[in-house]
Amino acid sequence: MLTAVIHLQGAGWHASSSGTASTSPATGSDAPATSEATTGTEEHVPAGDLTKPGPIVPEMKELAWGAGSFIVLAVLMRWFLFPRLKRSMDARYQGIQADHAAAESARQAARTEVADYEAQVAAIRAEANQVVDAARNEVEAERQAKVAALQASLGEQRSAAAAEAEAARQAAQSQIAAAVGDVAGRAGELATGRRPADDVVSRVVSEVMAR
Amino acid sequence: MLAESFKFPLINSILRWKDLFSTFNKVAMIAVAASLIGIVVFLLAGSKDGSKAPKGVRNLAESTVEFIENGIVMQTMGKDGLGWTPFLLSLFVFIYLCNAPGIIPILQMPATARMAIPLFLALLVWVVYNGVGFKHQGVKYLTHTIWPPGVPTMLKPLVGLIEFVSNIIVRPFSLTVRLFANMLAGHILLVTFALLTQSLITAETKQFMLKPMAILPFFMLVFLTAFEVLVAFLQAYIFTILTAVYIGGAAHPEH
Repeated sequence: MLTAVIHLQGAGWHASSSGTASTSPATGSDAPATSEATTGTEEHVPAGDLTKPGPIVPEMKELAWGAGSFIVLAVLMRWFLFPRLKRSMDARYQGIQADHAAAESARQAARTEVADYEAQVAAIRAEANQVVDAARNEVEAERQAKVAALQASLGEQRSAAAAEAEAARQAAQSQIAAAVGDVAGRAGELATGRRPADDVVSRVVSEVMAR
Repeated sequence: MLAESFKFPLINSILRWKDLFSTFNKVAMIAVAASLIGIVVFLLAGSKDGSKAPKGVRNLAESTVEFIENGIVMQTMGKDGLGWTPFLLSLFVFIYLCNAPGIIPILQMPATARMAIPLFLALLVWVVYNGVGFKHQGVKYLTHTIWPPGVPTMLKPLVGLIEFVSNIIVRPFSLTVRLFANMLAGHILLVTFALLTQSLITAETKQFMLKPMAILPFFMLVFLTAFEVLVAFLQAYIFTILTAVYIGGAAHPEH
């Protein structure tokens, strides 16, 4: 089984594993850092310099360069870089706000125009409806008048036809009565040898035909 | 059973580097590069046409500015604190750019994993927020800091001692150590898993399972590298927001 043991020795660590073949036996803690302990391209200071200063002690040159670099960045940022960027950001923001306001007012104007248009359409539609209704009423009245006139005409024609038919009926009835009277008078004459009086025959025929 | 050892480097060997010049080492180089990158990014961003929708480097700069303004200043100091945006922006950008090299190949060292830069920044913040306190409240700043309103007279000596230590001594110390220790720990973890991976891969052994096992520390290395991306941002954010809180508290003690 593979096991590993890590020891803290001096300012460095030392690890050993068991269960593997060995080509380099464990070395003491005083062994210098070697290239296999590096991370590739790093170039290290000689081992003698690695023990001091301690890893948490700040180095003056790092402090000075770090401070100088930051101060340069901060000063340029405060007086030049940030104001320039911020100015153009604000200008764009203002431009966008103005465009937004303009778009909003244009939208409002368009909405007003649409409302006006819709009102006009509604008015025209109402007017059209009125015209249509008036026309419909006029046509209806005209129709009513024509129907009435037609019905009156038909009534007159019907009355005339009825009177004519009545006259024809009366005439036919008279003719029939006369014919029936002739026939009845002749029949009576043949039966009795004496012709009955015309008024009697006429009265009898009238009574029979009236039944 | 045979034993093989593989050595971890001395702690200083993964933190201290051969000086590039007698007064200039890798940490100094990262600090200077962080400052230069910050300046160049904002210089380029400012030179772009601001009337159009931002993109590229300008988008990055504007996003950072809005993050500082909306995510830090407005949350901790309100509108009155917007004047502190350039300082907090510089702080955030500088710390982040000092943290980020911890995961950048070849550099592989966060400048903030050394004590100097976190210490300087924390002391600067200490000076700034105390200065702001004295400017806004005068001498009363000291009494307000030591004795918050409503403390019973009998408890004032005890509370005064605690608050003095907490506000005047511990704050810069905690700011320094929080940043330094987090970045140092991340750096050591990355080195540890890189070395474990390398050691397992290069081990001359008859144990056939040993070399494939290198995948485990390698996965941890990849995971921790991704985690360090988050830590680099998070530590810069925490340092900046705490600075804003301290300055806001010093300027407006009622908050």
